[in-house]
Amino acid sequence: MSEPVTVSPESRRRPRIAPFISLAVAAVVAALFVVLAGGKADKPDVTSSFLYGKPAPVVVSATLDGDTFDLSRRKGSWVVLNFFQSSCLPCKAEHPELVSFAAQQAGIVDGAELYSIVFDDSDEAVSQWFAEQGGSWPIVKDDDGQIATNFGVAQVPETWIIDPSGIVVSRYATTITAAALANDLQLLRQAYG
Amino acid sequence: MFAATSLNGLVGHAALVVGLAASVFGALGLAIATITSDRRLLRSIGNYAWLALGGAVIAVVVMERALITRDFSLAYIQQVGARETPVLYNVTALWSALEGSVLLWLLILAIYTAVIMRRNRHRLDDPLVAWALVVMFVVTAFFFLLSFGPIDAFKAGPIPNFNRCCLGPNPLLQNHILVLFHPPILYLGFVGFTVPFAFAIAALITGRVGEGWLMATRRWALYAWGFLTVGILLGGWWSYEVLGWGGVWGWDPVENASFLPWLTGTAYLHSVLVQERRGMLRVWNISLLVATFSLTILGTFITRSGVLQSVHAFSNGTIGPYLLGFFGVIVAVSLALIGWRGDRLRSPGAIDSPVSREGAFLANNVIFTVFAFIVLLGTVFPLIVEALQDRQIAVGPPFFDRLSMPIGITLLFLMAVAPVLPWRKASTELLRDRLFWPAWCGAGALAISVAVGADGLAPLLAFFLAGFAGGAAMRQLVLALRRQGWRGLVGRANGGMVVHLGVILIAVALAASNSYTRVAEFTLQPGVPVSYGGHTFELVELQQFTDARSTGVKALISIDGGQTYAPAITTFTNFGTKIPTPSVRNGLLNDLYLTLEPSVRFDGTEAPVKIFIKPLVIWMWIGGMMMALGTVLAGFPGRRRRSPTDPVSAPIDLETAGV
Amino acid sequence: MTRSVKSWPSWVLLVFVVGGLLAVGAARDSGPRTPKERVEDISRRLACPICDGESVFESRNADSQAIRIEIARQVDAGTVSDDQIINFIEQRFGSRVLLVPKATGIDALVWALPVAALVCAVVGLGVAFRRWKAAADTIPDDADRELVAAALAHEIPDDDPEVGET
Repeated sequence: MSEPVTVSPESRRRPRIAPFISLAVAAVVAALFVVLAGGKADKPDVTSSFLYGKPAPVVVSATLDGDTFDLSRRKGSWVVLNFFQSSCLPCKAEHPELVSFAAQQAGIVDGAELYSIVFDDSDEAVSQWFAEQGGSWPIVKDDDGQIATNFGVAQVPETWIIDPSGIVVSRYATTITAAALANDLQLLRQAYG
Repeated sequence: MFAATSLNGLVGHAALVVGLAASVFGALGLAIATITSDRRLLRSIGNYAWLALGGAVIAVVVMERALITRDFSLAYIQQVGARETPVLYNVTALWSALEGSVLLWLLILAIYTAVIMRRNRHRLDDPLVAWALVVMFVVTAFFFLLSFGPIDAFKAGPIPNFNRCCLGPNPLLQNHILVLFHPPILYLGFVGFTVPFAFAIAALITGRVGEGWLMATRRWALYAWGFLTVGILLGGWWSYEVLGWGGVWGWDPVENASFLPWLTGTAYLHSVLVQERRGMLRVWNISLLVATFSLTILGTFITRSGVLQSVHAFSNGTIGPYLLGFFGVIVAVSLALIGWRGDRLRSPGAIDSPVSREGAFLANNVIFTVFAFIVLLGTVFPLIVEALQDRQIAVGPPFFDRLSMPIGITLLFLMAVAPVLPWRKASTELLRDRLFWPAWCGAGALAISVAVGADGLAPLLAFFLAGFAGGAAMRQLVLALRRQGWRGLVGRANGGMVVHLGVILIAVALAASNSYTRVAEFTLQPGVPVSYGGHTFELVELQQFTDARSTGVKALISIDGGQTYAPAITTFTNFGTKIPTPSVRNGLLNDLYLTLEPSVRFDGTEAPVKIFIKPLVIWMWIGGMMMALGTVLAGFPGRRRRSPTDPVSAPIDLETAGV
Repeated sequence: MTRSVKSWPSWVLLVFVVGGLLAVGAARDSGPRTPKERVEDISRRLACPICDGESVFESRNADSQAIRIEIARQVDAGTVSDDQIINFIEQRFGSRVLLVPKATGIDALVWALPVAALVCAVVGLGVAFRRWKAAADTIPDDADRELVAAALAHEIPDDDPEVGET
C-alpha cells in the first residue's frame, strides 16, 4: 500500500521540468553509448610514415664486424634496411626470405644493398643467429636504439627501402617475402630511372 | 582422465543454471505477487534468494576446487592455472581473468541479495521493499546470464598443449599478496551500491520518495563507499609497490572506472544529509545513486571490453555489448522513472542562503559532478576522436593532473569551511568566530611548509587549506568529545570528521610527493657507496635467483650502512616478460624508493639503479586507514533528536526499519 | 576575552601572514629547469608506442628507453624547444604517442568542455541561489504563524548543529 503522496501547492504551480532534464541527460548518455559501442580494439596504422619522400635520417654506427657504417655514404645504391631481433618470432620466420633476397640482388646489376639493424638485442645473440642460419650482409649495431627511434620503429620486423639519392620510399611493417620485395624494388627502379 | 575431472564443469554449469533460474523466477514472482497482492506467492519468494546464493556459492567453490586440483579440462583453468603456481596465487587466480572475476562479482551480489531478503522477509508485502528486491534479482539474473552465456567460466577446454597453455596467471598478479585483497574489496564496494540503487528505483516506482528508503539503505551506501575507498587505495599501494615507476595513480582508464562511482558516491553521502535534515536535494540524491550504480556497470564495461587501452584491462571481445546494453537499459529505465516522478520529488523548500550547510553541500554536489564529468570525458575522449576523425590519440596523466588540481584545492576549501556552517544561514560573526582557530592552524601548517623549504604556489596553497580543513575537523571532534564523551567519536558527523582528516592526510601526501620528489640514476659498483639526498647507498652484491616459476636478478643495496633492500628484475619463464620489482624503505618523512633498471646485465656485477626520494608518501596509507576507521565510526548509530519542527523527511528509526 | 581575540584585526593579521608566507614560498625559485628535468617533463608528455598508455617516463621497455635517450640528446643540444622535440617523436611514431591532447582542432574540446562545465556549474548555482533568495522574501501568513506558535510551545533545543549532529 503506498502512502498518499504529498503534493504541496507550490509543486502544482511549478512547471514540469523533470521530463525535459531526463531527456537531455538521456541524449548525452545516448551519444556516449554510440561512441562506446563503436570502439574497437585498435591497431595503429603503421604503413604510413612521415619520412616518405624525405631524406633518410642520419645513421652513423658500426657493424658487428667492426667496420663503420654511414648511411649517407651509401648514396648511389638502393638500400634496404631490415630491423631485426633474434627473439622475435616473425623476424626469425622471415630470415630465410632475406637470405634469398640478398642472393638474388647480388646477381643483378644495380642490386640493392641489404643491411640488418639490431633492435633491442645483444650483438652476440644476433651474430650467433646469423652464424647458424646464414646471411652474410652487414649487421649494424644500434646500442641505444637511436636508429630505430629516428625511423619511428616501435616493433619488429620492419623493412625500409631508400633510393640512391637517399630518400625514403617504402616501409613494410610486417614480414616480407623475397619475391614481393624484389618485385617492388624493380618497380621502384623503373620509376626512378 | 578428463572425463572424470570434468565433473567440475558439470557441477559448475548446474550451479549457474540453478542460480539463473532462481533469480529470474524470483524477479518475476515478486513482481507478479506485488502487482496482484498475492500473499501466498510472497511467502515463498524468500527461497529463491537462497537458491540463487547457493548457485553462486557452489559455482565459486567448484571453480576453486578446479584451480586447486589443477583440472586442466576446463578452459579457464588452462588460462590461469599452472602446476608451479604457489597456493596463494593459485587461489587468487579465480579473479585474475575475466570469467572468474564475474563469478566473484556474482557471489557478492548473491550474498547481498540474500541478506536483504532475510532482513526484510516480514515486510515483503510492502511494495517498496518488494520492488527493491525485484531490482536486485534482475541484476543478479543479468550476471548469471553473463557467466552462463557469453563468458562461460566452466567451458571445457581443448586437450591441453602444455607448451601453450597452463602458464598461470599474469605475472603481475603472482607478485604480491595484495592480489588477495584488492579485487575482492573493490568488488564489495562496487556491488554494494546495487542495494541503495535498488531501493531508489523502488521508491521511484512506488512514488514514495520521502523518507523510508533512504534511511533503510544509509549504511549500505556508507559501507559500500568505504570498501570502494579502501579498494582504490589498496590499488594505489599495489601500483607503488609493484610497478616500479614510483607513482600511486596513473589515470589509467580502469583506474578511472573505479574512481568515477567513488566521486558520485561521495557526493551522495554528503547530499543525503540535506535530505534527511531539510527534505531537499531529493532529485540530486536519486540521480547520484543512479549515476553511481550506472558508473559501476560502465566501469565494468571499460575494464572488460577492450575498447580502451589499459595495462589493467582484461578483455574478451564478446562481453562488451552485453555490459554496454545493460548499462543502456539501466540508464534508460532510471531516466524514464525520474522523468515521470521527478517533479513529485522536488521539495517545496528552498535553500535560504549560499552560506549555509545546505549551500555548501549543494556546491559539493556540483563540484563532484563536474569532477566526474571531467574524468569521464578524459577517459572516453580517445574514442570520441576515433569515431569522428578515425585517428588515435591518448589522453594521459598531464590532462587529469592539470584539471584535478584546482578542483582539489576547491574541495579542500569546502572541507575547511563547511563543518562549521550551520543549517539555513550563517552570519559573518559566526563564521569569524568558528573559523578562527582552524584558519590559524592553516597558517601554522603553511609556516612549517615554508620553513622546511617548500616552494610553488599550488602545493603551498594546498598545505594551507589542508591545515585549515584539519583544524576545522579537529574543532568539531574536540567539541563533540567535550560534550558527549566517547560518544563524540561515533555517529555520522563525527565519523565524517575522522574521514575528513584521512582525506586531508592523503591530500597533503599527494601534494608533497607530486611536487617534491627527487630522482637520480646511478650505476652502483659493489662496495662503492654513493651519496644522494642525505643517505648513502652501497651495492653489496648483484645476485641471480631461480625458482619454479621465474629467474631473475636482484641488487642487494645497503642504505646508510644498515638494512639491505633488494630491487629486482624477474623473468617469468612461462611469459618471457621482465617484471621490475622495486624496493622501498618507508619512513615518516621520506620514502627511499629503489628500482633496478632493465639494462642490467644478468651476469654482471654492477647495478644500474634509479633512486627516488619521495616525501610523505606513508601518510597516504595512514590517511587511508583513518578513512576506513572514520567510515566504521560513522556507521554507529548517533544520537537522534525528535522535535515538532523536524522536517517532513524525518528519519525512521533504524532499528525498527529492519535493514 | 575570547571575543576580542577573534575579532577583525586578528583576521586581517591572518590574511597578511598567510599572504606573506604564500608570496615567500611562491617566489622561491628552484632555478630554471635542469636538462634532466626537461627530459622528464617531455617524457611525461609522451606515451610509449607499444604500451597501453604508459608514458615514456614510466615505461621500462626498450622503445621508451631509446626515446628517452633521443630526448636527452636533443635537450643537450640545446637548440630545440620542448614542443619541437615532442613534434619530432610524434611525426615518427604517430599521434598515439601524445599524452597531452593538442590545443587545436577537435582535440581542444577535451580542454574546452571541462571549462564550459565549470562555468555552467557556477552560473547555475548563482541563478539557483538568486531565485531562492527571491522566493524566500515572502510574508508569513496566519497558517505559518500558528505553526510557529505551536512549535514554540514545546521546549526546543538550539537549532544549531554545533556538536555531533548533522
